[in-house]
Amino acid sequence: MKFRARLSGDGKDGEVALEVAASAPHFRVSLGGEILSGDAVSLRPGVWSLVFDGGRQIEVSLEKGADGALLARFGNARASFEMEDELSALATASGGRGASKKGNVVTAAMPGRVLRVSVAPGEAVPAGHPLLVLEAMKMENEVKCPRDGVVEAIAVTPGQAVSAGEVLVRLRADG
Amino acid sequence: MTPLRLLIANRGEIAIRIIRACRDLGISPVAVYSDTDRSSLHVRLADAAVHIGPAPARESYLVAEKLIAAAKKTGATLVHPGYGFLAENAGFAQAVLDAGLVWVGPTPASISAMGSKTASRAKVMAAGVPVVPGMTTPARDAGEIAAFGEKNGFPILLKAAAGGGGKGMRVVRSAAEVPAAFARAQSEATSYFANPEVYAELFVENPRHIEIQVLGDRTGKVLALGERECSLQRRHQKVLEECPSAAVTPELRARMEAVAVAAAKAVDYVSAGTVEFLLAPDGRFFFLEMNTRIQVEHPVTEVVYGVDLVTEMIRIARGEPMSIAKRPEPRGHALQCRIYAEDPARNFAPSPGKIRRLRRPQGPGIRVDSGIEEGDVVPLDYDPMLAKFVIWGRDRDEAIRRARRALAEARVEGIETSIPFFLAMLDDPDFLANRVSTQFLDGWTYRPAAETAEQRSAAFVAAALDAVEAARVSRGAPSGPAGGGVSAWRTARPTFGVRE
Repeated sequence: MKFRARLSGDGKDGEVALEVAASAPHFRVSLGGEILSGDAVSLRPGVWSLVFDGGRQIEVSLEKGADGALLARFGNARASFEMEDELSALATASGGRGASKKGNVVTAAMPGRVLRVSVAPGEAVPAGHPLLVLEAMKMENEVKCPRDGVVEAIAVTPGQAVSAGEVLVRLRADG
Repeated sequence: MTPLRLLIANRGEIAIRIIRACRDLGISPVAVYSDTDRSSLHVRLADAAVHIGPAPARESYLVAEKLIAAAKKTGATLVHPGYGFLAENAGFAQAVLDAGLVWVGPTPASISAMGSKTASRAKVMAAGVPVVPGMTTPARDAGEIAAFGEKNGFPILLKAAAGGGGKGMRVVRSAAEVPAAFARAQSEATSYFANPEVYAELFVENPRHIEIQVLGDRTGKVLALGERECSLQRRHQKVLEECPSAAVTPELRARMEAVAVAAAKAVDYVSAGTVEFLLAPDGRFFFLEMNTRIQVEHPVTEVVYGVDLVTEMIRIARGEPMSIAKRPEPRGHALQCRIYAEDPARNFAPSPGKIRRLRRPQGPGIRVDSGIEEGDVVPLDYDPMLAKFVIWGRDRDEAIRRARRALAEARVEGIETSIPFFLAMLDDPDFLANRVSTQFLDGWTYRPAAETAEQRSAAFVAAALDAVEAARVSRGAPSGPAGGGVSAWRTARPTFGVRE
């Protein structure tokens, strides 16, 4: 199987091609033209130990992030990356990516409970203005307006629990 | 004969610490739990457990009547409050005593004397203990706070009169900031301590936070058990503690211990307690407050002085004298890293969730006190501390090397933790040279370690191998010898790499 991988945030030039010629336990993978081979065991879901032929051992845990990206953890470091197989990469390229509506919604950066809401629909708020206060694990965190705008709707009520990425406030689309 | 039973009015790691002390003494531990904690480890390690209400602490862990009813129901005759929640609530201690139960802690009178930080300062000042200038009564309004700042000079520190653990504390650097900071501090004080009272004190720049452990018994004996260095704090919450402090000479230790014992004796202190001081760069030290309970960081004292503070508390509560005649000599050096469920790469945002994988550090010099197991869900309702890694070495350098080893060995996956932060901080030249103050971490920025080229290759290769494996499984072909069947992870992403 053939794949393309890139670290999150990297552009197209950061992409690297992979081809798996032999899979676990005795793998042989071409990574950007370099042949890597060795011994791989999956200890449990998403957790791999790789022993490269030179002897280097690396334990890596993979998990899927909320945004669909993959997260690799190594204990002291972590790396977020995207990977797709060649066929779906073609499909994505021809279909394009959906327009981002990000500018008009304010989402929760983390799970928490809404403590209070400081704005009302119709209110004009400048960038940096507090919108509401989220409480999580005994800390109060102010959620601020990301840009100048007018509040269209408040999607949450005080006392409500929200998860990461959940929409808190909608801003009127720019004219 | 029914065994002696002790009710633990707490949750998480400290509940488990107390369960262990009970086991060591042959006492049967009783747990309590909110809706959120039904499956928590502290419940599963106890002999008996009682449901005390919904998740919010105000409706469960902070309700005295429910806790006392739980003790009655299970036949527990002793109550240990741990730290936080009702640990420093004199009303709860009195209610426990009034119910005919034994309170494992100081008397309600000692708790109230030290519980109001304003009254406690007056009390210890009378005993000759030096204090930082501060308000002697809670502020009636923001104007009173501003007036204090104008008189003594900014910055000042706002604190919850009934508080502890850094919750509800705020630095205020100008009169203009006072109204908003006062309102926020009152709100947090109400949420966490059910008491909105807030006061202000002078903010000493670049001090160290040094505290002395004390232990008193009913014979009137009070021992000081050395100091703990707690200068590394973020948002006024301790993150790493050490014993001993490299800034404390034997001569200074003796003076601080004498003052701590005087402070404890001023309130006829019985049980384990901690007298906190600010140590100024010029060597002067000021009484901050006395915590009339067991501290989160008590294990560093335990490993360096060879005492078990929690079993001593229980012995003393039962009317026995403490088991040590005098303070043992300190042995080696200990560090405690508080592992929080927070993401250091995202400004330490809380990171509750399910712990998919957990590997605890082990080996020479390592003690782990934690309240979690693999598969547990870390709730967002309570304190984010997951575990304490307590590391001992013959000296500070060895303790730091072992701490690095322990942190690198540990794995906590599914949620983010402060482990990468500690790995970075333990390499900081100023930390290694022991040039720290309570402001050290305010000026310290965590930079996530970049993955190495080898690690990056390993990630890509592992992900590709995983996708190949998943494709084989989804075609129904037998998995390879190392495949181990269909994994939950692969099931969740059977066509790996396809973008929706």
